[in-house]
Amino acid sequence: MALRARVVTDSLGKTRRLGKRLERGGEGEIFALQERPDVIVKWYYPEVLDKRGDELRRKVEAMRELRDAHMTRDVCWPLIRVFDDEHRWIGFAMYRARGVRMGFLAHALLYQRYFPGLDRRHIVGYLLRFIEVVQQLHRAGVCIGDYNLNNIFCVPSTQEVTLIDCDSYQLRMGGTFYPCPVGSPDMTPKEHQGVAFRDIVRSPRSEAFSLAIVLFKCLMLGRHPYDIVGGDDPVRNLRRGNFAYGRGQRDVPQGAWYALWRELPESIRDMFVTTFTVGANAPSRRATTAQWHAALTDYRQRLEDGKCSRELTRPSAQQTTQVLHAR
Amino acid sequence: MATYQLNSSSDLIENPSPRCACMLVLDTSASMFGQPIRELNSGVQAFISAIKEDDMAACSVELGVITAGGKVTEQLPFTTAMNISQCRRFVASGLTPLGAAMDLALDRLEERTAAYRKAGVAYYQPWLVVISDGVPTDQWQAASARARSLAQQRKMVVMPVGVEEADLDALGAFSTRPAKRLDGLKFREFFLWLSASMSRVSASASTTEQVRLPPTDSWDSI
Repeated sequence: MALRARVVTDSLGKTRRLGKRLERGGEGEIFALQERPDVIVKWYYPEVLDKRGDELRRKVEAMRELRDAHMTRDVCWPLIRVFDDEHRWIGFAMYRARGVRMGFLAHALLYQRYFPGLDRRHIVGYLLRFIEVVQQLHRAGVCIGDYNLNNIFCVPSTQEVTLIDCDSYQLRMGGTFYPCPVGSPDMTPKEHQGVAFRDIVRSPRSEAFSLAIVLFKCLMLGRHPYDIVGGDDPVRNLRRGNFAYGRGQRDVPQGAWYALWRELPESIRDMFVTTFTVGANAPSRRATTAQWHAALTDYRQRLEDGKCSRELTRPSAQQTTQVLHAR
Repeated sequence: MATYQLNSSSDLIENPSPRCACMLVLDTSASMFGQPIRELNSGVQAFISAIKEDDMAACSVELGVITAGGKVTEQLPFTTAMNISQCRRFVASGLTPLGAAMDLALDRLEERTAAYRKAGVAYYQPWLVVISDGVPTDQWQAASARARSLAQQRKMVVMPVGVEEADLDALGAFSTRPAKRLDGLKFREFFLWLSASMSRVSASASTTEQVRLPPTDSWDSI
């Protein structure tokens, strides 16, 4: 098969050559743009365009209208319409995110390879920045919906955070509601479990639950809040508000996880416990993004002042036994 | 065996990734002698290397290998891909006790998922891949009913693959999905597809939902 450079055009008909294919996602492919290393192109699959092309295009257009200078820096927002060589709309161009997926940070065995020298201050720094970006989106009436650590990029040794895969976000524009049609049950609050993602209306309260899972996974180096010894899968535990780390619980997974938990300030532990137990059922009981921001700002200060340990307990550093979990 | 259990138990404690168990049941009977067994061996090696190149998948995929060639042999007990240094090369000989091999595979998968639950480790639907170039030469009906029922309940993905003159009906009986026929000896292409599928599963934030798999046109034939 002959290899030929794919050519796309912008809305003025100017042609551009695509570079390497960088990703193959569920809905389309991401390409580099030749001569512009900072820009990438999302090209929806032909079958996706056949089925939902008009809908996707309307949503992307609505997003383009909403953009502002801040948003385009922190979020890989659709910026430029892209057409194929026959001038059919096939997707959009956006800035390329820098950094490493948060999934590699929230991983006890991998973080050192991807984030050398990482300590609690850095994690809290990324999380604060992440919350600020989420708050900025919420102020613009946008909800992320599909919270996924692989869609959050962090630049090692800085506090930069960039979000990718934004064309799935939920927004309202000129009286039209554009749902977030994707998600994963492991990150979805109880009130939205079992509902088709495209029929869900996300709210700051539902977002606060998913956001708390992201925070927990980062501070706990990859543990999901609803991973429970001898329990069911995380989704069933989530539906029951079955959170292992609350008071009087005994089902924390073995290892250094409980030690990691104990290192967190009490205020933050309380917020997790409330959000993941009573808050699973009662959205109004969940800690809000503003409360998380305040608590983590306070934690960062205490870390800076040396009042809390900055070090991350390594899961292998300590052979823990059941004694640690007993209360 | 003892060392393996020691490693695996600390692995379930230290590694927070949700797991995807992937058991390969391979027909290594005498009819696989020559080119087929060589291609199968290099395909399995390519699979392990490809998984290890993807850090997320390497932490998530646990590979087990059982061969049916003359007798049933557990070549590799479930091991997280990042901890696999090498997998033995298989030799082709004897008949095809595929029924017994599948029974053992199902036992091992059950034990493994029980260990995940006990350790509080989330897991994706386990995969059971069975590859054969013939017909099972032992009693296989009970094992196939057991595998098919687990596939029906969505507790397991069972993927039967036939090579050359394989009996696709017998292989298909192990699953709810029809057996696919490998195009020639494209073991390598098959295993690269399998590793791409495993990468996609382990990149998914969802342990309970089906993942869209890459197309199989690089290796299957009609």
